[in-house]
Amino acid sequence: MKWRRAIVVVAIIVLTAAMQTTVFVRLRLFGAAPQLGVLVVIAMSRNLEPIESLLYGFGTGLLLDLLAETPLGLWALVCAAVAYTTVRLRRRLEDEVTLLGPAVFVFTFGALALFAILSTIFGQKTFSNAGWVGFMMLPALYNSLLAVLVLPLITRLIPGAGRRYDTVRWDL
Amino acid sequence: MWRPSPLDRTTSVFISLVVVSMTLITFDLRASEGAGFGDTLREGFQTVFEPVQRGVSAVTRPIVGFFEGISDLSSLRDENRDLREQVAQLEQELAETEALERQVRELEEILGIEPPEGLESVVGQVLAVGPSEFDHIRLIDKGRDDGITVDMPVIDEGGLVGRVVAVTDTAARVRLITDPTMKIAVRVERTGEIGYLVGRGNGPMALEMINTNAVLVEGDLLVTAGSRYPAGISVARVAEAARAELGFTLRTTAIPTSEVTRVDFVEVLIFTSDDVEIAELEGDEDGSVDTPPDQGEPTEGGPEENPVTTEPGTTLNP
Repeated sequence: MKWRRAIVVVAIIVLTAAMQTTVFVRLRLFGAAPQLGVLVVIAMSRNLEPIESLLYGFGTGLLLDLLAETPLGLWALVCAAVAYTTVRLRRRLEDEVTLLGPAVFVFTFGALALFAILSTIFGQKTFSNAGWVGFMMLPALYNSLLAVLVLPLITRLIPGAGRRYDTVRWDL
Repeated sequence: MWRPSPLDRTTSVFISLVVVSMTLITFDLRASEGAGFGDTLREGFQTVFEPVQRGVSAVTRPIVGFFEGISDLSSLRDENRDLREQVAQLEQELAETEALERQVRELEEILGIEPPEGLESVVGQVLAVGPSEFDHIRLIDKGRDDGITVDMPVIDEGGLVGRVVAVTDTAARVRLITDPTMKIAVRVERTGEIGYLVGRGNGPMALEMINTNAVLVEGDLLVTAGSRYPAGISVARVAEAARAELGFTLRTTAIPTSEVTRVDFVEVLIFTSDDVEIAELEGDEDGSVDTPPDQGEPTEGGPEENPVTTEPGTTLNP
């Protein structure tokens, strides 16, 4: 079961990275595209064990790092943070499903903001991009709309998904 | 008595991953000079991952094309009207151009000047983009096997698109001119004044002129000044007219002439700055190469590297 799940999750991550970099070559609404990598990390972290979620989140980020020009490890850190936050809050999110859309928006926006801040600290010129607020808002908005399709799809694809892990939670 | 609560396992693993990330970032940044640790990893990974990207691109292209068609439908009517007007205007310009071409031929015959040999180029298709809006890169389906090397200029029908920054046997990574790290030495085609353009993502590029007394008119064409890129390639058009106040640097904005963000097919010019150095040496022997004044700050086009410039009015249209 664990091996089957690992193979499925790795396949999802690879396909996500490939889609993120190829589908949106020309298809960009208002000059921006969804941030599928972050969305898939959120979706996986809802269904996997906490440690698994962190490791696969980190792996997804590392894959994105290898396809980007930013310092290696930046996306890995951001995606691990997204996975950790999702793991911490998922019980709450499952209890109130209406929070899922806004949560995806906030998590994606937060991930991109964290990425922008960290990359600036590490010497990138991220905030020199004209319209950088839009670069965070629009992908967050697209992700929250796509969440309706992607979250249930990932839950269906991952073997043994849907179990509740009670080991960690933040009491809100 | 207060005692620190032990961290749960998830938090411990998360902190470990943060430490690993920080270590990776530090290694990558410290080893960024030359073929560093990150670059080597990226090149190897890109070689392995490129077939996956090709496959996904081939499968999704028709679907993407369908959605793109829908999104473009509303603007097609306006575009059609504009195109009709442009055709009428172009017919008029064509007649004028033919007359000018005849004059140029006659002048060339008189002066015995050989027209410069056209640069060789490789046509490539864009396979992939960067994973986020902050990555201004494109992956094209041509690489070392096709003669492409790092630093070669990339153009489309509008003008300069970017520069090759990494290459594998079958693919090349192009950094777009709109990337904030790109700084391109340009010349105003109308006046010959030198300045440089800096990328600002999806927004118009920032233009700074070296000569603070220069006057820029809206629509002025900016072409490459030479050195890293062949001189005379269209780069951008001035978006706002500007005149400098005494003692202040002249700054304004310019819009790229190429379809940078929607580019699908590109041409990589088989050209490296070594070609220019050879041309400069040959030029020095003839005493015929223009060298603009020393500009001080390093740029993509490198005016400080004594770029080869063409006379105002001569543009290398891709």
